[in-house]
Amino acid sequence: MKLGGRLWTGGAACCCAVLACLAVAASGVTRDQAAEPPGKPMRIMSANMCNDILLLALVPKERIASITYLAHDAVEVLMPGADRGMAINHGLSEEAIRDQPDLILASPWTTPVLRRLAAQVGARIVEVESANSFDDIRRVTLQVGDAVGERARAEALVAEMDRKLAELDRTKPAQPIEVVAWSSGNSVPGAGTLTDEIIRRAGAENLARKLPDSRYSSFGVEELLAARPDAIMRGEDRYNGPALRDAVSEHPVIRKAFAGRRITYPASFYTCGVPQSVEAVRELRAALARVPKGGVTW
Amino acid sequence: MVGRRLWPILAAVLLVVCVLLSLGTGRVWLNPAVLVDGVFAPKPNLAWLILAELRVPRTILGLMVGATLGLSGAALQGLLRNPLAEPGLLGVSPGAALGAVIAIYFGLSGMLTLATPILGIVGAMAAAWLTLMIGRGGTLTMILAGSAVSGLMLAGVSLALNFAPNPYAAYEITTWLLGSLADRDWGQVTLAAPFILVGWLCLILTVRDIDALTLGEAQAESLGVNIARTRFLALAGTALSVGAATAVTGAIGFIGLLAPHLVRPFVGHQPSRVLLPAAVFGAILLVFADVATRVIPTSQEVKLGVLTSLVGTPFFFWLVAKLRRMSP
Repeated sequence: MKLGGRLWTGGAACCCAVLACLAVAASGVTRDQAAEPPGKPMRIMSANMCNDILLLALVPKERIASITYLAHDAVEVLMPGADRGMAINHGLSEEAIRDQPDLILASPWTTPVLRRLAAQVGARIVEVESANSFDDIRRVTLQVGDAVGERARAEALVAEMDRKLAELDRTKPAQPIEVVAWSSGNSVPGAGTLTDEIIRRAGAENLARKLPDSRYSSFGVEELLAARPDAIMRGEDRYNGPALRDAVSEHPVIRKAFAGRRITYPASFYTCGVPQSVEAVRELRAALARVPKGGVTW
Repeated sequence: MVGRRLWPILAAVLLVVCVLLSLGTGRVWLNPAVLVDGVFAPKPNLAWLILAELRVPRTILGLMVGATLGLSGAALQGLLRNPLAEPGLLGVSPGAALGAVIAIYFGLSGMLTLATPILGIVGAMAAAWLTLMIGRGGTLTMILAGSAVSGLMLAGVSLALNFAPNPYAAYEITTWLLGSLADRDWGQVTLAAPFILVGWLCLILTVRDIDALTLGEAQAESLGVNIARTRFLALAGTALSVGAATAVTGAIGFIGLLAPHLVRPFVGHQPSRVLLPAAVFGAILLVFADVATRVIPTSQEVKLGVLTSLVGTPFFFWLVAKLRRMSP
């Protein structure tokens, strides 16, 4: 009892210490922001693919110093041509010196060296977390909007997204079918992922939620068959065109057992939580409607 | 020796047991009665799909790959008169790995499922050809050439990982290299089978000459053995069969080393007598190992290559210790 009590106090103290550190760090950021001279950042560098997309949606091209080399595929899906002629970076610190940004949109995974360097080149650094739900998307979009000085534009994007979401919620099918995003079973997105959110908003149930290891788990073809989902979704890496097309590389038994029940989606659509993610919901809803009624026959 | 008469019975019993286990176990537990019912029930049904499309090809592939590794290991150990010889030693497995990795790297496997096995075979042939060209001088030269070619091929694999186009490709390459029989299909069986069978034929043709080789190359040659031909047969056979096998399963180590050593106490040390038993025991070992990967309760399946390496390494140590005791 005594030991438990001591552990409890120790744990609480640790938590407090961590929170205090976070608070200091956070206040540092706020102070930086306060110190920023009035006016919008004019040379913005994005060091994360999802920030790239938000940035392209929020500010005019001229104010973007560089986006990451990963952005192209996703941009082609979400905003074709929006990144034409744009300088790219690889999230490296040297590129921060090259680009001389006044604002760096970073992620929790940005290299520490880049962070240190940001201060030296006089850039403000804003850390943006990845968005795994539409609540996250709302928060993150507004956060980036504030950081780049485009609050009104961000609010408009969020409002547009919410309007479409509300519309989709109204027309939700009464009987949800069960699907799973299964790409060779290496990692199946479960609860708490953006894919799960998109599946549920589209009016289906995510089979992966039933698995004990809920966030990302794996299962083989045998387990997939035994689970008998109504449809399986597969992310396509190489995507060229705004259509959900058939995957070519699958185990033959899947082609046989789930004939007409396979949905292909552009993987980059599901990677980043951005206001355009609502379009992924809309496309999936349409694809789900084409799935034959009733479960698999075998 | 009692073993000589007993081993065929022992091998047959073990073979039947491991095949039944391999058909009966999986990540999804199905009652054997349900499986049998599934065969006779109207198709398609779940049990039939799992049995016919997943477990049967997997078992056949396991038997073929295991036999290939055992047979080529025995032939190479006889040819090179080196108890540590195995397909990996001559650069064949790394060559196959490089070929398959190239297919994954350039996204060819996404366009055509069979691209990986085809390029794997090409890689194994290229590596074997290179080893044969460089290592023409004699047994020792060939082993040295083999390790040089292995180094080159592994460097190529590392290069592909280095420049992987996206994190998924790097992940795919890494997991592929670990070796597995999970979720294989009939297409891979039918693609690998012809190459494997021709390879077996080449290896079996060495049976006449490898006994004479135990006396040494000069003595064998004086007995009328065409050493260049024997060496070519062994290498070509290994390249064809191991190349095709590695291309569909990934790198699986130690079976080629283990199987010949396991059967020698039963059948004696004459290299030609070791070939067939080594092939049979290679198949048994691999299928048992594959059953173990499915039975071991982990959230992700243990990769077959990882398991054989884990189990095989202590055996390697034992072999080295034994050799040290025996050598002066």
